[in-house]
Amino acid sequence: MNGENKCINQTNPYLPEAARIVRTYPLTEDVKYFQVRLVDMEKAISFKYSPGQFAMISVLGAGEAPFSISSTPSRPSLLEFCIRKAGTVTNAIFKLKENDHIGIRGPYGNGFPIESMHGKDIIIVMGGLGAAPLRSVLLYCLDNRDLFGRVALLHGAKRPAEMIFREEFFALKERKDLECYLTVDADDTGKWKENIGVVTTLFPQLKDINPSKTFAIVCGPPVMYKFVLKELIKLNIPKNQILMTLERRMKCGVGKCGHCAIDYIYTCIDGPVFTYWDVIHMKELI
Amino acid sequence: MKIVKLKKENLFPFLESLSKEADLWAPVQKYENKHSFQLIKDFSQIDLKYTRTILPPKKLFLPPTFNMFLATEQGYEEDFSHVTKKILFGIHPCDIHGLLILDRFFQHVFDDPYYSKARQNTLILGHSCWPDENCMCKSTNTHIIEEGYDLFFSELETAYLVWIGSSEGDDCIRIKPGIFDEDITDEDIQIYIKWHNERDKAFQVDINFIAMPDLMELKYENPLWEKLGDACLACGSCSNVCPTCNCYNVLDKPLLNKYASEIGRCWDACTLESYSEVAGGENFREKRAQRLKLWYTHKLQAYISKYGKPACVGCGRCASTCPVDINVQTVAKALEGKDMDTFWNRLSKEVTK
Amino acid sequence: MKKDKLKIGIYELTGCAGCALLILDCENELVDIFQAADIQSFLMAKSDNIDGELDIALVEGSVSTEKDIEELMDIRKRAEIVVAIGLCSMVGGIQGRFCDEKEWKENFKKVYGDIEMTHTKPVQSKPIDAYIKVDYYLPGCPIGKEQFLNFFTRMLRGNPPERYPQPVCVECKYNENDCLLKKGILCLGPLTSGGCGAICINHNLPCVGCWGPVEGGNWISEYYLLKEKGFDDELIKNKMANFSGTKIAEVSEQLRK
Repeated sequence: MNGENKCINQTNPYLPEAARIVRTYPLTEDVKYFQVRLVDMEKAISFKYSPGQFAMISVLGAGEAPFSISSTPSRPSLLEFCIRKAGTVTNAIFKLKENDHIGIRGPYGNGFPIESMHGKDIIIVMGGLGAAPLRSVLLYCLDNRDLFGRVALLHGAKRPAEMIFREEFFALKERKDLECYLTVDADDTGKWKENIGVVTTLFPQLKDINPSKTFAIVCGPPVMYKFVLKELIKLNIPKNQILMTLERRMKCGVGKCGHCAIDYIYTCIDGPVFTYWDVIHMKELI
Repeated sequence: MKIVKLKKENLFPFLESLSKEADLWAPVQKYENKHSFQLIKDFSQIDLKYTRTILPPKKLFLPPTFNMFLATEQGYEEDFSHVTKKILFGIHPCDIHGLLILDRFFQHVFDDPYYSKARQNTLILGHSCWPDENCMCKSTNTHIIEEGYDLFFSELETAYLVWIGSSEGDDCIRIKPGIFDEDITDEDIQIYIKWHNERDKAFQVDINFIAMPDLMELKYENPLWEKLGDACLACGSCSNVCPTCNCYNVLDKPLLNKYASEIGRCWDACTLESYSEVAGGENFREKRAQRLKLWYTHKLQAYISKYGKPACVGCGRCASTCPVDINVQTVAKALEGKDMDTFWNRLSKEVTK
Repeated sequence: MKKDKLKIGIYELTGCAGCALLILDCENELVDIFQAADIQSFLMAKSDNIDGELDIALVEGSVSTEKDIEELMDIRKRAEIVVAIGLCSMVGGIQGRFCDEKEWKENFKKVYGDIEMTHTKPVQSKPIDAYIKVDYYLPGCPIGKEQFLNFFTRMLRGNPPERYPQPVCVECKYNENDCLLKKGILCLGPLTSGGCGAICINHNLPCVGCWGPVEGGNWISEYYLLKEKGFDDELIKNKMANFSGTKIAEVSEQLRK
């Protein structure tokens, strides 16, 4: 499951490229949306990635950190990120405005095994900021709708205000070729018309699953996995067709600095996408 | 492979003519019985009777700290100032194996130019060695070397047998062709074979590395690790002295007088507490035992499972460095269920933190 | 993103003033420092000090008198960010090593007798976070020039200081020193905050712990190691206590077990 070098800077994979923030707005209280474009037009076009890959973003003076790409390669030349304020680098990114510059390098990581997913049914289960990496694969499936069977989205947030890409997902509910189910743990607005409850309460909505031809993709807060995986196993989806994307601290993104190691797996090049079967064997995660 | 002979008295003149082109680095005695690869200005400093240096040769390719970039608002300037033309003379087979492992690592999928450029600019002139009580290279099968050097000097009584391992190595001996003798006598060969056999018998440590991946797997939850964690000083020295440890940290060092930063890189160690800290302060390897498990998973399990040989090259540096005797030898023995208590019985039994 | 210069105050409580002196000793950078920030108060460097609102207050020294407490409380009220600089401020310093109140009183009496203090009333020496919330810590005895400039510049650009807690051993190995502990010398490197560049061991002198305890130091293991090497119990505990300030309390708690 090793990645290949598709990095924009072939001679020095550590070398960031200047990128301009095209648009930015808050998605929730502590999550912001950033749309960026590489300043060098040629590089902007040649930045080829697949859903599930990530990029390293740097801010002068603050440092560098990994972020999953939320946009889809089917809409090229602009990159989108959802960033939560968590540490030094994200704090610095939050202070930036439209037309400010950041450094970007990548894309890194294996991404989702898109080709083996062709012709299969896709169930995407996301919770909270898990929507950041999974939005990429969702939009990719929708943009290449003929390549996939059924596509279902189960998305959960704590409260309506904390659901990132809320409007976008509501708009997707209109689509006939997508089963889109949204839920919140609790509604503090009194205006929420969708399901209320944790994301697993959406599972009864999934009817007539054909497990052997289904890929399930999961990303969310740690507590979510245990319960969602139980549901997926109940549906008899094979363990190697349940995909998850893991996050770790990274300094290099290219399998050298060692910080993202889980046992001897390097999340940055062997992942960040792993099957449930892979994950069962990671001793440090148990 | 081509082998030539060099009289001992011709060694320094040969090195001298080579070092006109590049910086010569060779083992020098730094403390009593402790050596270090140093830049040689005076040939009499070179001490070829050394067993191991305190730091492995990785320091020549990726120094403990160096700068990768100067980052400014205009962009990034690459900084390759640590890359200079070097000759590394006197490196032992275990350390050459160490470099081969680092090669595989730093050139896997993505090429690390900071490593590769320094590597390409360095000639490797190996030298034969004699084991001490900490040398484990016979067990790791890294006591002999067949690749990874430009020249390799096997010391006989009055001369060296010089193995030529690369075309650059071949060019080197052509700088002073007169001093190399292509005629190797039967007597030379007999001396060499005798030396080899005697050296083989001189190894005092025997570890079954092939059994280690299984033992690591089977004993992952063994209380042994807690015991090791109790003793570990979390000083990071085992990683810093290990020829195959490669982890590093990146630092953004802003300049006061202009809006720019030096992007620096320094050796890091998974045995240090700060290694696994993430944004927000959480640490997912808070316990020393967890960190040691990671270190030994990498040394005794990962590489063997993947490539059939351990990521340990048997140099014995961890054994001669760790103040509390946690090293490949003692841990391997403990995994085999031998001498579990003898190494850490200084700790009172009731300590469980 | 240009805004007004950061208002910074540098304050000295009870200590040797070495940390403030180190800032003053950044001779090549001093002009840049004063240009980049609005240094409102720096007793060692200037006389026209203002006690107003501050963006950042750097506080050196331990709290050892009632006057220190008052001054510290006032600083906290005025400053957005308070940084403890140096060992005394972080852990109480050498003067903070008698952490038991009874022991402190006895020692005080031994040194000063029954003398009446008129200027201010002495209190048991404590780190500043015993009284106020501290935002960042910059270790050192005194603080290091490189770390200070790095820290200062990061703060100027609105970024928090880089936290990189490592024992002295890390830099000691970077410098390819021979391990003194391994040689049977009482060296506190593994227990001590690095950043000093392992300067003592570079000169073949053991680490005495002057940068203060490192996070996650394994005191118990080192204690038993030193015992095994033949050092006297009292000597080890004294050496460990010298620069550990109030932190030694939790360590002795561990050792008692």
